[in-house]
Amino acid sequence: MKIIEYLSTLDRRIVYLVLATAVMLPLVIPSVQKVRVMTPVAKLFNAVDTIPNDKILIVNIDYDPQTLPEMEPMGVAVLRHAFERRIKVAVLSLYVQPLGLAKKALDQVTEEFNQRANSVADSIIYGRDYVFLGWQPPPIVPLLGMGISISNVYTRDYYGYRTDSLPMMRRIKNFNDVGILVSLSGATAPLWWIAYSQTRFGVAVGAGVTAVSASEFYQYYQTGQFSGLMIGMKGAAEYEELVESRLQLRDRRRASEALGSLTAAHLTMIVFIIIGNVGFLIRRRRDRRSQ
Amino acid sequence: MKRRFPLLLVLIFGILGIVPYYIPHATYQNFDNAMRNDFLRILSAFAIILGLVSLMRVHQDKIKRKRENWQYSYVLIIGFVISGIIGLLGGVEGELFLPTKIAGIQFDIQTLYLNIIVPLGSTMFALLAFFMASAAYRAFRARSIESSLLLAASFVIMIGVLPLADRISTHLPSFAQWIMDIPNVAAKRGITFGIALGGIATSLKIILGIERSWLGGKE
Amino acid sequence: MPLIILFIFALAPPTGVRAYDTPDDGGGSITVEWQISSDDAMIEGYEIYRSEEGTDYTLAGYVGRGRNRYEDETEDNTQYTYQVAAIINSEKGFSEPTAPTASKPQLFDRGATILLIGMFVFCAIILYFINQARRGKKLFIRKITGLDAVDEAVGRATEMGRPILYCMGIGLVDYIATIASFNILGEIAKKTGQYETPLIVPTSDPVVYTVAREIVKESYATIGRPDLFDTDKVYFVTDSQFAYAAAVDGVMLREKPAANFFIGYFKAESLIMAETGASTGAIQIAGTDQITQLPFFVTACDFTLIGEELYAASAYISKEPLLLGAIKGEDLGKIVILSALAVASIIGLLTKFPILSLFR
Repeated sequence: MKIIEYLSTLDRRIVYLVLATAVMLPLVIPSVQKVRVMTPVAKLFNAVDTIPNDKILIVNIDYDPQTLPEMEPMGVAVLRHAFERRIKVAVLSLYVQPLGLAKKALDQVTEEFNQRANSVADSIIYGRDYVFLGWQPPPIVPLLGMGISISNVYTRDYYGYRTDSLPMMRRIKNFNDVGILVSLSGATAPLWWIAYSQTRFGVAVGAGVTAVSASEFYQYYQTGQFSGLMIGMKGAAEYEELVESRLQLRDRRRASEALGSLTAAHLTMIVFIIIGNVGFLIRRRRDRRSQ
Repeated sequence: MKRRFPLLLVLIFGILGIVPYYIPHATYQNFDNAMRNDFLRILSAFAIILGLVSLMRVHQDKIKRKRENWQYSYVLIIGFVISGIIGLLGGVEGELFLPTKIAGIQFDIQTLYLNIIVPLGSTMFALLAFFMASAAYRAFRARSIESSLLLAASFVIMIGVLPLADRISTHLPSFAQWIMDIPNVAAKRGITFGIALGGIATSLKIILGIERSWLGGKE
Repeated sequence: MPLIILFIFALAPPTGVRAYDTPDDGGGSITVEWQISSDDAMIEGYEIYRSEEGTDYTLAGYVGRGRNRYEDETEDNTQYTYQVAAIINSEKGFSEPTAPTASKPQLFDRGATILLIGMFVFCAIILYFINQARRGKKLFIRKITGLDAVDEAVGRATEMGRPILYCMGIGLVDYIATIASFNILGEIAKKTGQYETPLIVPTSDPVVYTVAREIVKESYATIGRPDLFDTDKVYFVTDSQFAYAAAVDGVMLREKPAANFFIGYFKAESLIMAETGASTGAIQIAGTDQITQLPFFVTACDFTLIGEELYAASAYISKEPLLLGAIKGEDLGKIVILSALAVASIIGLLTKFPILSLFR
């Protein structure tokens, strides 16, 4: 009993040490964990997969370094999906800080595809297959302005080219030419797309969000305002699973590799909570008896 | 006048901001676009300058008066100046005229960002996992029936989101998803309604000049 | 084989083509709709042709197969007629031309009618109760435990001779939570001024810092103690989220405040600050409208103001009639929404009436 009581009042530094060990061990030997794909992610995948030929996909990358491990696999998986299906992609950010990360994800995926390509037709070419629109402050400007004209909001892209001169953008005017907009954010950017862009212009919106903020977004998925939803590392792993199984793409799956650590972390926390409660119940019973 | 003019501005622009949702006519929409695309962008640029100037003044003052930990203000100012020079004169990836590569070591803004800011930010965010563990260990106690229910639900969710859940029971992931979809959303939706209405009421008070705390102090 | 069949029997064109001024817009748009061709599965798509004021038809746009709608950019008050052609390779099946149509701008978006009515109703309710409060009617607000604990927290800090930390989060000055926090800061500054308890207010935005400084200064002046104001205690830290959290943690570990207030807009840094505060043994009162941070505050803090309790806090503490009136208005607004939801749910469950389309 004394051991249980001791375990239920552990110094928090011991808790940190045990958790750190549990998280690090599975990362030493990475292995891909298979996951069951749940409906919100499947819906998002299908929404992207069925974009008509004459429409584009917009990916809003608004995660920052803090949420990179959770969110970047989502961005990479969606870009892989789009490029494999030859869906034209426009990438943008509502803030300046995620720009570097958006570029990183684009560079990674385009390099993957171009290394495999056998011809120009197979390759992913800037301007023809994708554009990086960059950032236009304040956030409300693209949210509302793109419903009228994308080229007016982003007159020049991230690299300084005139947007309307890019081959892909010549027949793309506004949200009417967008199949779906997928917003990847650790904050509330997906809700802004719904509140402003979807309400005014009817554009379909999908989202990828962090696990900790998931509860805020479920209600919008339930009402159909989000066409689909990826949540946290597991959501990213589910999308990766679909990309691999449906499109036969076998690139590295970072989110799926990290699920081992996620499992270890959750189980460790559950064990600590159980120990804490057992000690609490023992103490409470002892106190009641002594009364 | 010092307080009435800002209140008048808030009243006018508050109403002008609501109107575009109801009037699709091009004349008004063009005016609204001009406000958002031009006017607001210029204001935001000045707000950035305001923030930077304020930051520099605060730290210069700290150095001048030798306040507590004044030495760290030098770190901030020097870092600010150096990264400003590299970014403005060197370009994002070193494409401008300032050289951003010495002896094979790159220090353009993109490299600095990816190798300093990104790991620092990820590290701070990663601390959350440890704080969550210690908070859960300390505070999650089955003190009552309600807290026991909460504890049980949290166990179901924590296991249900793992690949392991499928091996325990094929119904577990679906049950966890149900908890997130139904009871969780119902509660959050209730709170969201309240917050949305509270937001509308507060906005109305600000537009009508009833709420004036943002002006700083009382009249 | 299907292509051969198509060539033999000629491509079926789309039918029922109609063109009309796109409703509820600012003009410059005509919508063309049609029923898809019976050969839709085999065609490439549809080309939309436009004739302006009786001139020759020119190509206006293209949509893929399976689609039956196209919005064309037009000049207002000019008559257009349209034809839609199903195409495969060079084979085209043209529809009958539509009747002439012109686009024009609308002054009001009828789709937003329900929204406008709702807005007026809600505003009217709030203004009614504010008016009632102005006339001196007593308005009841239920007990909010977290706010009742404010006096206890201030008293505890005074007894222990330790400061109070007031953290406003990382919101900007136009965030509702930040504005609500300003109100509470003013009231707490007055209380701490009365007991001469030091109040530390680190902020994460230059504009918020400016306003917070004025509020604290003004509060001390109101109770006749302007000398208590210390510029070192209300200061701007940084606008970087986690750097701000690290700074606040540092204050908590060095100054060891007896009471911590986390009132405002918070994101992921909330738990870092709250848990550190809990480790120092301080009494903690939190309030935010960020749903995602509420569980962390509830776990780590002694009292938590949930959602609109934060907006009600300024009314609760100050007992100012105008603010109380607004709170009552919000409550009645919620009752109206809940009633509408209940009625709509019953109608939706028991009948086939498309009640949901009224709310879209």
